[in-house]
Amino acid sequence: MLVDLQGPWNPIFGRLGLLLEVHYNNPIIFFAFMMVVIGGTAALSWVTFTGRWGWLWREWLTTVDHKKLGIMYILVGLVMMLRGFVDALMMRTQQAMAVGPDSPGVLGAAHGYLPPYHFDQVFTAHGMIMILLAATPILVGFMNLIMPIQIGARDMAYPYLNALGLWLTVAAASLVMIALFVGDFSHAGWVGLTPLTELPYSPGVGVDYYLWSIQIGSIGTTIGAVNLIATIIKMRAPGMTWGRLPIFTWTTLASNIIALTSFPVLGVALALLTLDRYIGTHFFTADLGGNLMMYTNLFWIWGHPEVYFVVIPAFGFLSEIIPTFSEKPLFGYVTMVLASMAIAGVSWTVWLHHFFTMGASPGVNSYFSIATMLVGIPTGVKVFNWAFTMWRGKLRFPTPMLWAIGSLFLLITGGMTGMMLAVPAINYLVHNSVFVIAHFHNMFLLIVYAAFGATVYWWPKVFGFKLDEYWGKVFFWLFTAGTLFVFVPMYTLGFMGMTRRLDYIPHTSWEPLLLLEVIGTGFYLLSILAFVIQLGVSIYNREKNRVVASDAWGTSRSVEWMTHTPPPFYNFAVTPVIHARDEWAWRREHGLTNLMPEKFLDIHMPKNTAVPLIISFFTLVCGFALVWRIWWLAAATFAAIIIAMIIRSFDKDTDYIIPAAEVERMEKEIVARAEGRIPAGEPAPVGGGAGGAYASKRTPTQRRDND
Amino acid sequence: MKRKKIPMFLRFFALIPLLLLGGCNTEHFWLFNPKGPVAAANLYYMVVDVVIMSIVIVPTVIFTIWVISRYRASKKAHHDPKFSHSNGLEVLVWGIPIIIVGVLAFFSYEGTHAVNPWNPTVITKNPKYADTKPLEVDVVTTDWQWMFIYPKQHIAVANELVIPVHTPVHFRLTSTSVTNNFYIPQLVGQVYVMPGMRSKQSLVATHTGEYHGFSAALSGGGFSWMDFKTKAVSEADFNAWVEKVKQQGRRLAYPKFAAFAKPTVNLAGKVHYFSDVQPGLFAEVIKNVRDGKLQYATPMFLTENMDSKEFKQHSN
Ligand code: HEM
Ligand SMILES: [Cu+2]
Repeated sequence: MLVDLQGPWNPIFGRLGLLLEVHYNNPIIFFAFMMVVIGGTAALSWVTFTGRWGWLWREWLTTVDHKKLGIMYILVGLVMMLRGFVDALMMRTQQAMAVGPDSPGVLGAAHGYLPPYHFDQVFTAHGMIMILLAATPILVGFMNLIMPIQIGARDMAYPYLNALGLWLTVAAASLVMIALFVGDFSHAGWVGLTPLTELPYSPGVGVDYYLWSIQIGSIGTTIGAVNLIATIIKMRAPGMTWGRLPIFTWTTLASNIIALTSFPVLGVALALLTLDRYIGTHFFTADLGGNLMMYTNLFWIWGHPEVYFVVIPAFGFLSEIIPTFSEKPLFGYVTMVLASMAIAGVSWTVWLHHFFTMGASPGVNSYFSIATMLVGIPTGVKVFNWAFTMWRGKLRFPTPMLWAIGSLFLLITGGMTGMMLAVPAINYLVHNSVFVIAHFHNMFLLIVYAAFGATVYWWPKVFGFKLDEYWGKVFFWLFTAGTLFVFVPMYTLGFMGMTRRLDYIPHTSWEPLLLLEVIGTGFYLLSILAFVIQLGVSIYNREKNRVVASDAWGTSRSVEWMTHTPPPFYNFAVTPVIHARDEWAWRREHGLTNLMPEKFLDIHMPKNTAVPLIISFFTLVCGFALVWRIWWLAAATFAAIIIAMIIRSFDKDTDYIIPAAEVERMEKEIVARAEGRIPAGEPAPVGGGAGGAYASKRTPTQRRDND
Repeated sequence: MKRKKIPMFLRFFALIPLLLLGGCNTEHFWLFNPKGPVAAANLYYMVVDVVIMSIVIVPTVIFTIWVISRYRASKKAHHDPKFSHSNGLEVLVWGIPIIIVGVLAFFSYEGTHAVNPWNPTVITKNPKYADTKPLEVDVVTTDWQWMFIYPKQHIAVANELVIPVHTPVHFRLTSTSVTNNFYIPQLVGQVYVMPGMRSKQSLVATHTGEYHGFSAALSGGGFSWMDFKTKAVSEADFNAWVEKVKQQGRRLAYPKFAAFAKPTVNLAGKVHYFSDVQPGLFAEVIKNVRDGKLQYATPMFLTENMDSKEFKQHSN
């Protein structure tokens, strides 16, 4: 051992001996464990009793279909978001209970019910999960799901890599979930503050869980970025020039350029910290020549671009939703594209605004302040452009539009508080206070609003029926009540001087506002309930809300509305030729809405593969072994990963052709079904949406068997 | 079946918390009640920044709301389905933000110098303080306590800061363990306190009183209890206090300090006084931290159970 470990280690079990010292009698951990067990058992028995293992394997686990991968990305994101929300509930209740020296403490806490040991893990997990395992997968999911159809492609440039990206993300999420029960998680904030994350101050396995799960997840995201960029550059349909690219595709491009260039920086920063913790180097220690602020710099050189990585696609959602329900093209397309690219570019030059208070010289701080405020320019332009898109429009307000408008106002307030934080003279007062927390939750909520809008907007395209509007509106207003009740008090507390990450609240004057925040989380809880009801009601009533037209809203504008609803697994019967920006609107105007081509051609499609799933499984085990320093297991699984990659690289049988006649037959059947000429003997399966009612019966895997 | 709409008044219920922004008593708003020129300058720049931004943001919000209500489909207002470009508007949408950011940039530059922790011009360029002899205080954070060393007076106080009013106080700051953040909201903004490094800060208190100081950067299990009272007292009271500390205190040399630096959660908010402080203690702490000679590992489960014997040994 090159480093001093607290606790036992042996060559076979690594540090697992530590588990004997963990106190599993904690009722909260026990309760969480029971929930996971019950949920897991329910899901597994459902799959077993309905005989769906084969279906699960063929349709989902081994799929390379970008739509299904997209849906799974979003599902993983939603599940992790729920986990993150439970963390949030605990933080809000702890802070509301632990006010003042007289507040009682239970379960080993001096005040409230979460001692620092647990509380610090809870907020660290919350932040890390919400950003890297909820927001990021949900947005990547939408890019996967929508972008290829928007550019008239059949799939991504690298379908296999796409599946690998998803399953690595799942591996990362699983590792974080394992940390909940086996050992502990990092306690040093989602930013991994050095030197707090160094071995002497974080002697447990928590930081190691944090490091390896981010490392695994970020490999997934980087692979995804390569793939999305390559797809946009190489897979566009004929006529889809850069000037005609749908705006969401542009934002996908901008955002993934950020991801591709910034995630490696994070990877390196975390790898150096890993070396400090595993072999005793001194990159970020205070002693022996280490430089702890170097970590902070590297982290934020990734971290700030990352926040724009998640916000830019949200801008893309708004730019798709607002024109559709204004019945007008987007105002200032070129400006919007330039603004997205400008934000992506400038986001690289502002990282130091996260630690103005480090004591840099006024020259340095002024530079980063002004660079940061420059981001405000393209952001402001976007707000104006959306307002002018609605101006002289014919506005309708179904739920996607409500979410979009909510998002717009959140952008205005969040942008304003961001511009305040960008001024060092102000930042010195509110840095690390709950004002910052309110600012960036404001920004992330903008993304959440836009993403819920996008969900309702694209849902009918993906699943073939609309979501229930009534419950959608209940969901929206409850969620908005939650947002206001949590974050208005939080901004206020920021002005009162409350610092972030406090386990114990020394000042009783903060109590009323903290209680309001608890009420806000209650609204969020109700809103989640409304969302579940919305999904349930919509699925129950799906025949009533079925959409057969290719364009679910009647006024949509871009290419994804030009294929069947839901799209067949090959997306388009023949690759469309693009004539205009807003191609679908152009065709509608010119009466070219017939989807049946005159002539059918062979279609070239990728085959399913289980290799990504296998590689990710080994990666998960390898990550676990590294966390617990079980060297033999880490080495073995790493070797397995390499072997799997080598075997895959010799597999030449990775694609197949659907003959033109077969395409014609399938297309005719889809149309017949849509027109009701084929009685709905077997209703379209709800979950089979992405592949289309049709594809769920006739999948690439099955076809290979018939060949 | 047609569903009922959600009643309007219920929807506006969601907006109630906005009311909070008004009508609150401001005494607890430390940021709005500065008691010294540095914090006052911070507040000044906050107000300037918000006012300048409001010049665009308020009209933008009003315009957006107006558009949303004016152009609902049901209003049958003028619909222009082709309108998607206008050079005039483009100039406007880029021009306005550029101008605003330009103005903000100027104030930001000015403000950064005004409250620069190395040399805050609101103090150093202020003729009022030109002739006052500044007080020097060395600040050392440990896991999880504060040590304030008054090198000229040869005294030190743990977890309490006492300063004379109307006197510039110059701080040098370092940490023995992890990064902390020195913050007294009503007197001065934040600056990091980093191990093996030295940062600086300056403040003047213009009103006697007791102000809250604390660490504003997560530093581990005892972080939430890392508060210190800041007492701004008259010159005479300050001198009397110094004498008193000198009388009652204990000697503080490096070994004693190293013992003090052991991980300790200051649950009870205890204050300790020391007299006869070893000269150059601050520099010696930095040197030992850099050489790896002053470092305590945190026990793995220290704060898991705050009733445990282990925790009791590490708290006071
Ligand atoms: C007009 C645009 C924006 C400006 C000027 C801005 C400015 C800032 C500044 C100066 C800080 C540092 C505050 C501090 O710690 O003292 C900050 C923090 C933060 N911002 Fe923004 N921001 C903007 C937009 C966004 C967006 C779009 C997001 C994410 C979607 C975002 C997410 C965050 C996060 C996550 C943090 C703090 C992270 C942490 O310390 O844990 N910001 N912002
Ligand atoms: Cu930033």
